[in-house]
Amino acid sequence: MKNPGTIETRHSWLPKVKPASLFGWSVVWTLLLLPACVWAQDAATQAMSVEYRDIPGLGSRNVIWVIAQQHLLLAGFVLGVPIFAWVCEIVGWKTKEARYDTLAKEFTKLLTSAYATTALFGGILLFLLIGLYPKLMAYLSDVFFPSFILYCILFLLETVTLYLYWYGWDAMQGNKKGFHLFLGFLLNLFALGIMIVPNAWATFQASPVVVADGTAIDRAWAATWNPTWWPVNIHRLIANVVLGGFICGAYAGIRYLLAASQAEREHYDWMGYVGNFIGVFGMLPLPFAGYWLMREIYQYNQQMGITLMGGFLAWLFILQAMLIGVLFLGANYYFWMGITYRIPGSEQSYKRPILAMLIVLMVCLGVWMTPHSLVASLEEARKMGGTHHPLLGVFGVMSAKMTVANLMILVTFMSFIMYWRAGKQETSGWAKMAKAVMGALLVIAGIAVIVLGVWGYFVPAIIRINYFSVAQVLIVLFIMITFTPLTAVLMKSAKTMTEMVWGRMPIRAAYCLVSNAVMVILLMSLMGYARSSSRVHWHVYGVMRDTSDYAYSPALGYAAAFMSLNTFVFCLLVAFIFWVATMGDKGKKGPERGQPAEEPAKIPMDATPAMAGGAPREGEATPKG
Amino acid sequence: MSEVALLQLIGLTVVGCGILILLFITSKFLRVVGFVVIVLGTFTLIALGVPQMPSLPPAIETFDIAKVKTPDDLASIGQKIFFSKGQCALCHSIGPSESARCPDLKGIGAKLAPEFIYESLTEPQAYIYLDFRHEGLPKEYPARMPHINKNPIALSKQEIYSVIAFLQKMSGEPISVKVEDVLGVGEEGDVKVASVHGAY
Repeated sequence: MKNPGTIETRHSWLPKVKPASLFGWSVVWTLLLLPACVWAQDAATQAMSVEYRDIPGLGSRNVIWVIAQQHLLLAGFVLGVPIFAWVCEIVGWKTKEARYDTLAKEFTKLLTSAYATTALFGGILLFLLIGLYPKLMAYLSDVFFPSFILYCILFLLETVTLYLYWYGWDAMQGNKKGFHLFLGFLLNLFALGIMIVPNAWATFQASPVVVADGTAIDRAWAATWNPTWWPVNIHRLIANVVLGGFICGAYAGIRYLLAASQAEREHYDWMGYVGNFIGVFGMLPLPFAGYWLMREIYQYNQQMGITLMGGFLAWLFILQAMLIGVLFLGANYYFWMGITYRIPGSEQSYKRPILAMLIVLMVCLGVWMTPHSLVASLEEARKMGGTHHPLLGVFGVMSAKMTVANLMILVTFMSFIMYWRAGKQETSGWAKMAKAVMGALLVIAGIAVIVLGVWGYFVPAIIRINYFSVAQVLIVLFIMITFTPLTAVLMKSAKTMTEMVWGRMPIRAAYCLVSNAVMVILLMSLMGYARSSSRVHWHVYGVMRDTSDYAYSPALGYAAAFMSLNTFVFCLLVAFIFWVATMGDKGKKGPERGQPAEEPAKIPMDATPAMAGGAPREGEATPKG
Repeated sequence: MSEVALLQLIGLTVVGCGILILLFITSKFLRVVGFVVIVLGTFTLIALGVPQMPSLPPAIETFDIAKVKTPDDLASIGQKIFFSKGQCALCHSIGPSESARCPDLKGIGAKLAPEFIYESLTEPQAYIYLDFRHEGLPKEYPARMPHINKNPIALSKQEIYSVIAFLQKMSGEPISVKVEDVLGVGEEGDVKVASVHGAY
């Protein structure tokens, strides 16, 4: 039974009032507060009508630009690293080489701190968007609210899986390894979901579809399936793998420079190789994904395509060509240095092919970087007979650029094949025949790509885009798909003539790895600006106009300064994350325990890159007819 | 000093700092930072060397329906609405197009009466195509067209009539929508100025 005195006892500090006087006080307070309520209502109405807010001095768009770019790059990193780690774990599990498992674990360790930093920037971005662009956010919330809920659920699932994956690493070895790999699969599956859901919001802004009547889910679903959603999903997925790989390479490069012992140098040299391999592996199909995206943009809205490729953003693609060119050169150069320094004696046999490849790459880069129309004075234009150069003008068009892009991919792929084969002697009876067929196929593919490129000048654009360019891509893919397993089979029975020597790469190899990572980050920033600017003065293309003071797209120079700033800040953030994540390791093996620093497991001198197929030792070769 | 010159100066300073780090600093990590700074500064300087073209937005146009004097004036407002607030061009083309996801509207003004077009825009499911080419109940093909007079597009009657006038004009038909009828439209009669851009 309730004690009627309990409440009074517990709240004895309350003034004792009669019900009638309480009512009186209520009336008085209501009358007093009424104007405040009206004012609050006015303020609320006013707040609802605010379309934009600004940050004086900095500019709302600049702030959003920096925060959004950091969030996107970090997101790319935390989505790319699990793919990288999972692939390494699978390789380690299949090849029984513990160093791959160690590498996978080393990178998964980064995820917890990187994940928190990404979420932090995501939260800041969300608050800033709600505060600075309330009208746009109200519209997007109205269209996409159900997917917001889905996003939250995916985030929860990803977090739980990440904790299980990371903290369960040591506990789930041996018999439980299969379950741990399954967790890795789930981690990547949820990460894919986390990537594609916000992609729907961003791609809807660029290529909106009419959101018809229906339930909230119907409307969100209709808006999600916009024409550029899947091309962007695929492009970003591959790009994240590339980012993860090259950042791993850069980390290994820096650790290689800082290494205090030969064992450390060997370990980080090997890690740099794996990072570069995964980066290149992802980079090869990336231009095809980019081509598909551009094609969809053109199909969706030709004007948007023209703005990108032929309008004020045309010069951006020259910068993109420069960055991709440097990246291709860097990736190839690293392979060539690997042949020279890790496989002693091989440099002589590959000197000529390397020189030929360098020349092809440089010529291709020159063609790719040739602008469509030159900025010329009136007198210069008169002399040239227009804005197109009489000789070089032919290289400025898409047909030439598609051709050289495909050739550069072919060359890079062959660099990798060359590295794979260096220092080994095929023992199979059919090896000569296979090599001859591969050589012939390579020559035919190169000629076919060039013929289609030249032919492309003489057919209507639609024929070139729909058939010739697609055929060029398929030819290169065919070479990659056939050569890889063929080389793997050849190498399986090959003799290792020269042992792989790790830890002897020159310092410039480490700088090359850092440069590759910087190029990828700059490229992501550059293309983010391109995608955003292709919407010109629209928040949602053709649907909601940007009426703020920042409705213009800044010129390339100004934008490039921001891209550089963003890249630098991101590099520092990643360095900080690596530093924090490895601080504990230093403590464990630190000198305060009075023990010498623990060195990474020594890599056997005959260790061959399992990711490139690997090869048994000389005595283990199994020649087959 | 112009913005480009200022940024060039900053870029040169950054590259200079990077070079100084590489020349005088022995810390390996800082030397990597110096290298990254040189790469980024050089990239910025190259980007500042190409033609600098910002993309400026066009002026926001407002259309005072009270100033409409001729059917052609009405059609020109309708054209603007067709390609902006009405969002018609997101799905429909005028003439054959590979990217059009919905029927081509070329000549539609000549084929259909204005009343029918009005009904199609405001009640898209009024007539549903039925497929009888199989056993049982006919299969329905409801239109994927949104109600143009409701959110989020929410065109007013005046705006819908303007679009119909445009569809008639581009079909080579005499515009049958009368200016005085549009101006005398009931419920939104007081809305004289239609902001074509910016609304949703």
